Amino acid sequence: MSEAKEAKTQGENRKVKIQIKDVSFDYVDQKTRFGALKDVSLDIREGEFICILGASGCGKSTLLSLLSGLNKPKSGELLMDGKPIKGPGIDRAVVFQQYSLFPWLTVKGNVLFGIKQSGRKLGRKERSELADSYVESVGLASAKDRYPSQLSGGMKQRVAVARALALESEVLLLDEPFGAIDPKLRLELQELVSKLCANYHKTVIFITHDIDEAILLADRIVVMEPGSIRSIHKVRLPHPRVREELSGTEEYERLHRQLISAFYDQVEDKIDAGVTL
Amino acid sequence: MKSFFRLERGMYLELFLATALMIVDVILTLTFPYFTTHKAYYDSGAYIVVLLVSYLIYVSYLFWAKKKSTNDVAVVLYGFFLLWEVAYKLGWIHNDLLLPSPEGLFHVFVEKAPEISKDVWGSIQLLFWGFLLAATLGTLLGLLAGWIPRVREVLLPISNVITLIPPLMFSAYLIMILSTFRQAAIAVIFFAVFWPTFQGTVIRVGQIDRQIIEAARTMGVGTIGMLWKVIFPYCLPGIIGSISKSLRGAFMCLSGAEMLGINLGIGYFTEKYKSFADYRCVLAGIVTVGVITTVIDLAVNKAQRAIIKWEK
Repeated sequence: MSEAKEAKTQGENRKVKIQIKDVSFDYVDQKTRFGALKDVSLDIREGEFICILGASGCGKSTLLSLLSGLNKPKSGELLMDGKPIKGPGIDRAVVFQQYSLFPWLTVKGNVLFGIKQSGRKLGRKERSELADSYVESVGLASAKDRYPSQLSGGMKQRVAVARALALESEVLLLDEPFGAIDPKLRLELQELVSKLCANYHKTVIFITHDIDEAILLADRIVVMEPGSIRSIHKVRLPHPRVREELSGTEEYERLHRQLISAFYDQVEDKIDAGVTL
Repeated sequence: MKSFFRLERGMYLELFLATALMIVDVILTLTFPYFTTHKAYYDSGAYIVVLLVSYLIYVSYLFWAKKKSTNDVAVVLYGFFLLWEVAYKLGWIHNDLLLPSPEGLFHVFVEKAPEISKDVWGSIQLLFWGFLLAATLGTLLGLLAGWIPRVREVLLPISNVITLIPPLMFSAYLIMILSTFRQAAIAVIFFAVFWPTFQGTVIRVGQIDRQIIEAARTMGVGTIGMLWKVIFPYCLPGIIGSISKSLRGAFMCLSGAEMLGINLGIGYFTEKYKSFADYRCVLAGIVTVGVITTVIDLAVNKAQRAIIKWEK
């Protein structure tokens, strides 16, 4: 791993793509403040792969819904390229946990929908070829004419990723995309996403509750506790990362230990955490 | 792969039974025309054609679908016809004015062929235009109301009241105030179809998976795109699925309206011969309505399967 590559993965000198400034959020229709956020701040640099790690109910999906523009913060602001996020837009593509494909469209049809929404001026033939190439990039070329109901969970999420890529946005938001997929397939999908996001130079925010998933994918891991950010951990492992090669290395073990203690709220190991907020 | 000409063993017995019932009926009809005490005698040609054609459809469907229930239906059907025929021939039915023989009933379709075909065509045309208008408008307004809460809150309470009133009650009034029978008939169908279609569409829009809508919103889909490119295709199977039900309702109302005073259509045909006390023709009219609704039903189901290739 060269110095240049190291600098790139860390992205310290790159400009800030997304700024989350003192953001708070409440669910107004519920008496309990379940999943709410209080004064959360975070800067995300261009090309960074951020994993937001937390137990269910800590507000990580809420944070993503604010970034996607589907919800508006109660106070504070979210900026992208210095401009406030006002609502959903094609500059931020979203991959949901499941059930977000359009069931009346084929695999290719779903991807074409993304291409059409991206607003690029393309002929029918160019669009079709582009859709084929995205379908191929997620390894579904042979299933491109199938409908979502004819696909397995893993294949559906591949389509969702392809559709999100087809929007050609600079930012990709993924909300526990592989949470419902069985572990063996999940690993394949993680490697696919890691590869594609690097190829297409995306700024990625990836929500997960899986520590290994976070270590495998992220440049920085943001651990959340209910309502706020608990700690941020830099991942100094070289890309591309392979699961089998990672486990056992010193950096991996150290990070894993840190994350487990942060995740399970153990005070004695807190000192090890990279940055504590 | 199963051969087309093979059936399960038990099915042959019932096929034989149904065939025997049908053949005995045909023989009875042909050979005992004069063994009755009734004066009226009708040519049995039409009845025999009905028996043979239905038999042909039954056997080909049996071999195609290979379902036991097909046999059961055939046995019941031919058993019923045979019983009717026997009852008639043995003189159990005394008044053939009120209950004609099966050959008498089906002979109406030969005697009154031009009249019936004209009336059926008339009914279908009315049905087509009324239905097209009501279903299109009902769906469009339903999509709008389903998506925009403010529109829904105005229209849904109104439709809740109106759909509770039997559409036939409007008919008498509509027939009176509208200048032509054609307009009146279309208006009746419109009332019978519009509100249920509207309500069904609103409900279907409400049941859309939130993830689908959110996914569309994050892809920058606006209001019109949402209605046309997301909500409409998502609801289309449900909309088509409800067509056969609302068509049946429409046909029921149309027949009713025709009997109430519209001077064309198959309902009018039935009503007219009722006043002439020609119950043979009345029964023929009823049979015709049954046949038309069945054909419409089959056609719609077929179309649905052809159009909708996906499932949720």
